[in-house]
Amino acid sequence: MTLSRRDFFKAAGLAIGGALITAGPAQASTGEADPNEYAAMLYDATMCVGCNACTNACRQWNKTTAEPDARLLYDAPKELSADTWTMIQLYQGESETSFVKRQCMHCVSPACVSGCPVQALQKTAEGPVTYDQERCIGCRYCMYACPFHIPRFEWGTAQLPVIAKCTLCADRLKDGLQTACAERCPTSALIFGKRGDLIADAEKRISENPARYVDHLYGKDDAGGTSVMYLSGVPFEKLGLEDLGTMPIPEISEGTANILLPGILVGGPILLGMIRMTAKRGGWEDTWPL
Amino acid sequence: MAALTRSNKNNIPIAFWPLLALTLLGIGLAIYRLVVGLGVSTNMSDHYPWGIWITVDLFLIPVAGAAFTISLLSYFLGREDYHSIIRPAVLAGFLGYCVVGVLLFLDIGRWPQFYNIFVPGYINLHSFLEEVSLCVTLYTLILILEIAPVFLEKWGYTVPIRWIQRGIFVIAGVGIVLSMLHQSSLGSMFLLMSHKLHPLWWTPALPLLFYLQAVYTGLGATAIAVKLIWKAMGLPIDRVLFRRIGQAMSINLMLYAAIKVGDWMGAGEIPLLLKPDAFGFLAWFQFLIGIVLPLAILLSKLVGHTSGPFWAGVFALIGTFIERLVVSWIGLAEPNPVSYVPSFTEVFITIGMIAGGVLVYGAVVRYFKLFPDPEHAHA
Repeated sequence: MTLSRRDFFKAAGLAIGGALITAGPAQASTGEADPNEYAAMLYDATMCVGCNACTNACRQWNKTTAEPDARLLYDAPKELSADTWTMIQLYQGESETSFVKRQCMHCVSPACVSGCPVQALQKTAEGPVTYDQERCIGCRYCMYACPFHIPRFEWGTAQLPVIAKCTLCADRLKDGLQTACAERCPTSALIFGKRGDLIADAEKRISENPARYVDHLYGKDDAGGTSVMYLSGVPFEKLGLEDLGTMPIPEISEGTANILLPGILVGGPILLGMIRMTAKRGGWEDTWPL
Repeated sequence: MAALTRSNKNNIPIAFWPLLALTLLGIGLAIYRLVVGLGVSTNMSDHYPWGIWITVDLFLIPVAGAAFTISLLSYFLGREDYHSIIRPAVLAGFLGYCVVGVLLFLDIGRWPQFYNIFVPGYINLHSFLEEVSLCVTLYTLILILEIAPVFLEKWGYTVPIRWIQRGIFVIAGVGIVLSMLHQSSLGSMFLLMSHKLHPLWWTPALPLLFYLQAVYTGLGATAIAVKLIWKAMGLPIDRVLFRRIGQAMSINLMLYAAIKVGDWMGAGEIPLLLKPDAFGFLAWFQFLIGIVLPLAILLSKLVGHTSGPFWAGVFALIGTFIERLVVSWIGLAEPNPVSYVPSFTEVFITIGMIAGGVLVYGAVVRYFKLFPDPEHAHA
């Protein structure tokens, strides 16, 4: 984090003769954008009636295929898939019941973006984490990197498969529209807005109605903050929203990259040179070629 | 091995036919996988996006690291004892990396655009996977240069051999730096998975642990291969060489053990070790069989016998395999565990590609000069 890209390139150029210098502008993280200005959504589980209108709105806009139940009566996806980018799941406890919406959280510091070798996943300045299949090589590292288990892979196709996940309707935001799912939600359990405004709204709801909510806005700080945030009446772990701490997931990895890569590229050759100069010379060069 | 490396040029070794059959089966299945896609040909799923190929790659890379360890020792630490094993180790490394490359190519879903990892505007230098991809590719090219004299001398091109010999310290040096980078980055790849990988294996020290593991695993693999091949070829085995390999191994094993124990204690993970579950057992097994046992062998008088480093190598490799298996597969927890068993296609593509590597190795042993003449072996 502390080492600039230019410093890294300098090191890389020194060490392996510019093999990496052609790498060009390789920056995939969030830049300087203000997370409070990001496009975001607030999902209030206490207001959700589980109608799945959001799931349908998502299908219609993104033209994904329904995943019907065995009798072909209802669209009944069991979990997120290459065809289902968002869905409502039911949590049934002993005495409590809640719905929970599943979809990409559009992290402020996304691990998928940090891990993607070819910048196929990018954090845009408006907030959405987008995907470019022309770049993607299909390595599926993003699926492991994501702490929320969101990116899905199109396993079934014999064509070139893609990584599939919610785009936060980046293609609608461009035209000044809101996300398809939030627009369709009949109970306003899901609302769209600027991240900063939604945080203020959510915190107001908690303070005005402390009995209704768990005193925590999930996604405000979790995993370094997300653009999709949750209010709930039941503990978040029960809804599958794990306690991930507040450190951005890529922090350790990127910090290591910034130290280790230039360190080895510069330190390695220096160390080898020193070893070579101090080690005693053997006479083997003559006895056996190479 | 014995059947493969027999120097009788008139007989085709018995092992040739089954290896050829496995290789051809593997190639056929690889084509099948490319035609029908990953969903049909493998058992991977959204719950197990990576399967046996990645695990095998993670294991083969440190084993093939033999080439890097041996060049480091012989070119830079001036250990002439290692000189007789440079060629066999470099060829094994090269073929190992070829197998890794083929398996990775088959594993990526959008294989026709694999070259995107080299496109300057696409490269993400924060991605350790990108870093591994670039370094492994460049390192494979370095290994081609290092092994080229074996072929060039046979075909009578002396000039390029002289160029390579003149530049060997630069070539080997670049290869060593690239190896340091990608062997450690292989561990760094899992730094992003702090919430998924089992805490007994996840640590910020993963790059260092993977690097040390690559060094001792490469040395162990060398000890195993040299003992088997030298025996099969009837070459006298150099005990001094074996003791040196064993000593180098033990230093790296001790460093690994110190960091591993330090991490477990520092992170307060000792209770997890005492938990009677599969992970507690695996962690103990890996530590005792893969670290303590080889160390005990190497620190005893056995290090002076060729079987000492040989068996230390065997146990170290078992330990490395367990670590790579846990880190890339069973230790990556999922909220709703769905079982994954590799499909026939996945298993036999893996076996086929390795068989192909062994086959090529055997052919090079047979038709080119990979091993020193007996009078040079005991320098």
